Amino acid sequence: MNGGALALVRARTVLLGPAGHDEAAIGRALGELAGGGADLADLYFETTAMRSWRLEGGRVTQGGFSMRQGVGARAAHGGQVSFAHSADMREGALLDTVRAVRTLARHGDAGRYGQGIALTRTPAGHHLYPAIETVAVEDAAAWIALLTRIDELARMQDGRIVQVDANVRATDTTILVAEADGLLAGDVRPMTILSLVVIAEQDGRRARGQAGLGRRTGLGGFDAASVDRMVAAAANMALNNLDAIPAPVGQMPVVLGPGYPGVLFHEAVGHGLEGDHHRKHLSAFDGKVGERIAAPGVTVIDDGGLSGRLGSLGIDDEGTPPDRTVLVEDGVLTGLMQDRLNAGLMNARSTGNGRRQSYAHLPMPRMTNTFLANGTADPADIIASIDRGIYATEFDGGQVDIVTGRFNFTTIEAWLVEKGRLVAPVRGATLIGVGHEALRHISMIGNDLAFDTGMATCGKQGQSLHVSVGQPTLRIDRMMVGGQAG
Amino acid sequence: MSALLTQDEADLRDAATRAVEIAARRGASARASAHHEGIARIAVRHGEVETAERSGTQVLGLTVFHQGRRGVASTASFDPAAIERLVDEAMMIAQHVQPDPDGGLPPAHSLAYTGISPLLYAESPRDPDTLLTAAMLADRIASEVAGADPRLRVGESVAVATEGLWALATSDGFCRSIRRSNDGRWSVMLAQDGGGSTSAFCQSQERSVDALALPEQLVRTAADRARAALGARAIASRRCPVLFAPRTAMSLVSDLAGALTGIAQFRGMTFLRAPLGQRVAASHLNLTEDPFEPLGLASGPFDSEGIAGSARPILRDGVVEGLFLSSVSGRKLGMASTGNADGFYNLRLTSSAPGGDWPAMLRMLGTGLVVTEFQGGKTDPASGNWTQAIKGLWVEGGEVVHPVTDVTLAGQMPAMLNGIRAVGDDVERQGALRTGSILIDEMQVGGKA
Repeated sequence: MNGGALALVRARTVLLGPAGHDEAAIGRALGELAGGGADLADLYFETTAMRSWRLEGGRVTQGGFSMRQGVGARAAHGGQVSFAHSADMREGALLDTVRAVRTLARHGDAGRYGQGIALTRTPAGHHLYPAIETVAVEDAAAWIALLTRIDELARMQDGRIVQVDANVRATDTTILVAEADGLLAGDVRPMTILSLVVIAEQDGRRARGQAGLGRRTGLGGFDAASVDRMVAAAANMALNNLDAIPAPVGQMPVVLGPGYPGVLFHEAVGHGLEGDHHRKHLSAFDGKVGERIAAPGVTVIDDGGLSGRLGSLGIDDEGTPPDRTVLVEDGVLTGLMQDRLNAGLMNARSTGNGRRQSYAHLPMPRMTNTFLANGTADPADIIASIDRGIYATEFDGGQVDIVTGRFNFTTIEAWLVEKGRLVAPVRGATLIGVGHEALRHISMIGNDLAFDTGMATCGKQGQSLHVSVGQPTLRIDRMMVGGQAG
Repeated sequence: MSALLTQDEADLRDAATRAVEIAARRGASARASAHHEGIARIAVRHGEVETAERSGTQVLGLTVFHQGRRGVASTASFDPAAIERLVDEAMMIAQHVQPDPDGGLPPAHSLAYTGISPLLYAESPRDPDTLLTAAMLADRIASEVAGADPRLRVGESVAVATEGLWALATSDGFCRSIRRSNDGRWSVMLAQDGGGSTSAFCQSQERSVDALALPEQLVRTAADRARAALGARAIASRRCPVLFAPRTAMSLVSDLAGALTGIAQFRGMTFLRAPLGQRVAASHLNLTEDPFEPLGLASGPFDSEGIAGSARPILRDGVVEGLFLSSVSGRKLGMASTGNADGFYNLRLTSSAPGGDWPAMLRMLGTGLVVTEFQGGKTDPASGNWTQAIKGLWVEGGEVVHPVTDVTLAGQMPAMLNGIRAVGDDVERQGALRTGSILIDEMQVGGKA
């Protein structure tokens, strides 16, 4: 159980208690913030503690700890947003922050200035992740034991694995959102991320492999089988890459494996369907809602309520529970992702996609868990259908230009396919294309939907967030592949 | 007291010193860094404010060394209880970390207790009204420019001001602080024709408002860049000479410098192994570092270990003369710190080979590809494999024929550095880096089959 009244109790303890005030003080500050006729006003309180350990070459080489807290105050008049934040959450500092917003907003002293707002509405609780703390001091030995096991497992995979770098990072975040419409919502967000880089060496050649596992859980949430799979994935990537040949160059069919390659839909579709880009008419998909933008069979969904995914949130950073938004249905553009500000200005409702990196950042429409829904093809048949092309299973992130829709990804694990068979691993293939063109060239969709392992992050206007991406195996008939082969 | 800051240098020195003293009482040697930054930012479009922001951040970072073991912790709160907790956490971490014989504070005699402190702060108006006026002016100019060309649309115009303080204290009695300022302006313009849309921006970043580029210049450059990219198309795969415009040439300098950092060297994550005294680039190339340039964007009197850098050659006639070392990476390589614990200071790439202005560089390119923008890709630091998706221009006989997109460019960093034929006089600065355009003999272009 998390969110709801339970999370409010925690938020009072860790946020309001140390700041020496209560909900009445928040109501008073909100009253000042919303004065002058703001269309939207909110306060976002956050405390975050983070702990990390690093094991290199079987030795604990680094540990880290950090803590931060603060409050962000926002008021919007139409599309004009004023925002200030402070690391000091005591009532005096809170009121200073609120006054800084009013000064920026230049909306004088008219309105409900000084009148408190009663915070009477709290969203229901959720079961997406537990309201636990992961950053406890006494856990150090247990975390280090887990990293040691990962190190040993990695070396046991193959004698050619010569370096292992294992990391763990645990984060505890507690938030409290108060809005001028009377909403008061809390959430407790634990998160733990394991990551692993291995180097394989053979005959003077070196190659890198990486893998990770991220969950909204503590140490107890990592079962042995999942950890084993992570280690095997990193080792296999490094060993495969030892024999990699330069990637071919030119236009060719591409098969993308299940899981993280779904970042294609995050970049090529998702970013272009965020409400802010549509309100400002900046998206390559502007004005195309209701139109066919992809081949039949292509259904893309953003769902912030999936259990076990790092993009999931019991409430977004504006207190709205997550929606399941069908972005593309059977090839037709059907939905946008909205936060409160942009929904309000576009006569729509928030879809629970209002997210922010921290109290010091403004919320924006952001993705949660974005994926291509299952098709019916057998993945083996999809690879077998390729005469000459690329089969890519892991990427090192990707980018998209919202205005043109152009995206690119660089593979870190990929194969050359000839006559339906994997011929050799290739290194450093860059796949580039335009979102709406690539979507039309999807010709086969597999039945093996999978998600990333909890390592996906998304950057937008300088703000980084954890998301999840997913897809089944799929075939794109034409894509530009760039590499080093002539 | 500045309009953006809520604490002064003495507050930060006190917080850092307090953390070091508590750690010292528990038997550890320590250093603490206190940062405080205030930012104001206004974004305007179509005569309306889109966002107006004020932010104030602070962080106190502590590194302790206890019996050869290191612990690191940070806090955003400077109150006494938070600083006690900070020391507790750092000491706890040090109990669990393995000893590192190369760790520990640098020798006290190497610290910059006194010495040159380059000018990093300029008095300039940085209040929200000033920023609003600046952003509104740029927006008005953008509307005029867009009004004169039906293909253009106005994007946002942004004005931002930052002031920051940094104090460093160590248990060897080092305690110094600095004040920095940063002013930025940028404008976004969009262009559209039957073939699609493009957007482009142009920015100026300085430590003083007086030094910023004029809004007219930012808007017109952004508009020119957006228009120039209209109608871009792929070209066929080929090998050809490539001219990197200054904004993209900088990443080559950055990749070269990154390969010469101590951490890349001792971890073996570099395409330039044991490079000192080796010729790694064309023999007409020189790269110099200057930590002390007044108002330089990457200037500083000392690094986060308290060690000063020096004005020096990094590359002379293509031969490596210096690395970027901290005390730790220096010890691992058997060398002294160069005062580069936080990376490199201001770098300048020059060439003794004939260069020229932009048109002259295009003529020197002859027939080949100009790179104006990277769309994504990477450099593998260990192998030097370099791949980027790029936007650019196709040039024949020194004349631009059409804009290019949807192609990739690939090469090997060592071969690319040796293949540099000329560096232009069209020098631009971005952060720590200064370079003109860079002409490379031949690279692999991946495009249409």
